[in-house]
Amino acid sequence: MSDIAIEQARRITYRRVGYVSASILLIIAAIALGVTVGETSMPLHLVGQTLANKMLGASYALDPIDAGIIWNYRLTRAIVAAFCGASLSISGVVLQAMLRNALADPYILGISAGASTGAVTVLILGLGGGLLSLSLGAFAGSLVSFVLVVMLARAAGGGVGIQATGLIILSGIAGSQLFNALTSFIITRSANAEQVRGVMFWLMGNLSGVRWDDVMLAVPIATIGICVCIWHRRELDAFTFGADSAASLGVPVRKVQAIVIGAAAMMTAVMVSIVGSIGFVGIVIPHAARFLVGPRHAQLLPVAALMGGVFLVLADIGSRILVPNQVLPIGVITALVGAPGFALILIRGRRTR
Amino acid sequence: MILEAQDLGWQVRAVRIVESVSFQVRKGETLGLIGPNGSGKSTLLKLLAGILSPSSGEVHINGNPMGRMNRREIGQTLAFVEQQSDTSERLTVRDAVELGRTAWLSALQPWSEKDDCIVAQSLVRVDMAGMEKRSWHTLSGGERQRVHIARALAQQPEILLLDEPTNHLDIQHQISILRLVKALAVTSVIALHDLNQAMACDRVGVMSKGRLLTIGSPSEVLTLDLIRDVFGVSARFLTDTDGSSFIRFQPIQ
Ligand SMILES: Nc1ncnc2c1ncn2[C@@H]1O[C@H](COP(=O)(O)OP(=O)(O)O)[C@@H](O)[C@H]1O
Ligand SMILES: [Mg+2]
Repeated sequence: MSDIAIEQARRITYRRVGYVSASILLIIAAIALGVTVGETSMPLHLVGQTLANKMLGASYALDPIDAGIIWNYRLTRAIVAAFCGASLSISGVVLQAMLRNALADPYILGISAGASTGAVTVLILGLGGGLLSLSLGAFAGSLVSFVLVVMLARAAGGGVGIQATGLIILSGIAGSQLFNALTSFIITRSANAEQVRGVMFWLMGNLSGVRWDDVMLAVPIATIGICVCIWHRRELDAFTFGADSAASLGVPVRKVQAIVIGAAAMMTAVMVSIVGSIGFVGIVIPHAARFLVGPRHAQLLPVAALMGGVFLVLADIGSRILVPNQVLPIGVITALVGAPGFALILIRGRRTR
Repeated sequence: MILEAQDLGWQVRAVRIVESVSFQVRKGETLGLIGPNGSGKSTLLKLLAGILSPSSGEVHINGNPMGRMNRREIGQTLAFVEQQSDTSERLTVRDAVELGRTAWLSALQPWSEKDDCIVAQSLVRVDMAGMEKRSWHTLSGGERQRVHIARALAQQPEILLLDEPTNHLDIQHQISILRLVKALAVTSVIALHDLNQAMACDRVGVMSKGRLLTIGSPSEVLTLDLIRDVFGVSARFLTDTDGSSFIRFQPIQ
């Protein structure tokens, strides 16, 4: 390599390191904000001292209630919100690429609803109430609903492709309505309704119950899912002109579809089993990210993950402070912000087509 | 034999779209595929590209049955430009051509200077060098076609399959693209509508109702009888001032 090339490569590396550290700082700042803001606000130095006590073995004298709120409630909540936002956003990017449909996302396609039904079914049947079996149930439910929705769209004559934009979305609406109704039905019918959490939890999402064991599940699953998708960034790009074009570019289409859609379904399912189904993150955030960095997945995926994480942490803060003394379902906030964003996508989309 | 179709067939439900097609293409040769609309040219090319899997028969590349090669190997050997393909993504011309490098890059391999060179060269070859930054949705049909061809060239294939590549092109670029394909060292199979363009190929295959009627040199194959039987028009060969001949068509009276 010539000196100029080495110099250039070095500059690119520096820039990348810069971006990555800026991103990590941004997400940490968002989480810190999430921990400080709330019904009682926790000053930043208190947060720092709590973390130092818990993680570095420091021994600041702290009010155990404050420390408990920070460590067990606020921090877990903010971390799960960040990873959940990243997961949903990445799932949206992947589904949009695979279905070549700007409006695809786990919520609209009924994947989230299917996951809810799966999780609720596991709870009611008492197949072990643990977090893991809940997630497995949700995963099964999400796959069932996705397959049903795609089959319905195919049967309606569209299949997967540019012309099928409307059909797959309509099928998704039918699918989510069906699975949401099933979820409500199961919960309402069940004898031990109190242990299933409310209908609202599964339909609109709620971060109130999040604890450390949820963090321990959400963080690794999100990390694995995001890494799998980033690993396949070039294959995702190759789908730009459709599956046939991807195949002739050397992509094993079926295998890649199974892997990345499986990863998206897995992330969505686990997040749904922890916080319920949250809408609009998977569609609005990817579009915003695309607007910023363009359609290539090497940049799009990390940026969408970061923005999704920050967005959901902020949405969670909003859900806690918007109405005094009351916590809104987080899905209410994401819908309030997301629906206008969605409208904007529809309008912009029409202009470019 | 670099590319070989052995008794290829493809059917949807009970309808036979392509039936017992066999032929061989030699290294460096340019084979033109002609035939009326719906005669199965596109389907045959998709079979050759491995996008459709044959319901009977087999495609061989360099003597290897395609079924036993993996997709990446195929992508490094063979490039295919579909008759139509479009996107609603706002990617640039350069982005679109960079996709051609997919088969050559593994997940951990960074984009290299060499890839940059290949992409730049491919753009030059289709006369799109100054338009790298243009966004896909701002391009004309012919410009898009040239980008597709550049992407196929960026795959550095041994075999190039083109489905009616000259369709949206102006006359100048029709000529330059065909000349480019002939001048390249690659083996190519091109579906064409213009019989005069087919005359410039090394060999011509004629498709009709899913079958390969005949294959051979343009002068053997393109006879007045065949043109009348297959295309339903009467034709006349005229000789240009430089001695080359061209075809004129008239409806059958
Ligand atoms: N997937 C398919 N399902 C049903 N019919 C098809 C399919 N693909 C192609 N055909 C039919 O096969 C015939 C050949 O099509 P094609 O290969 O596109 O012809 P050409 O490219 O020569 O115009 C047409 O009649 C077309 O309608
Ligand atoms: Mg065709």
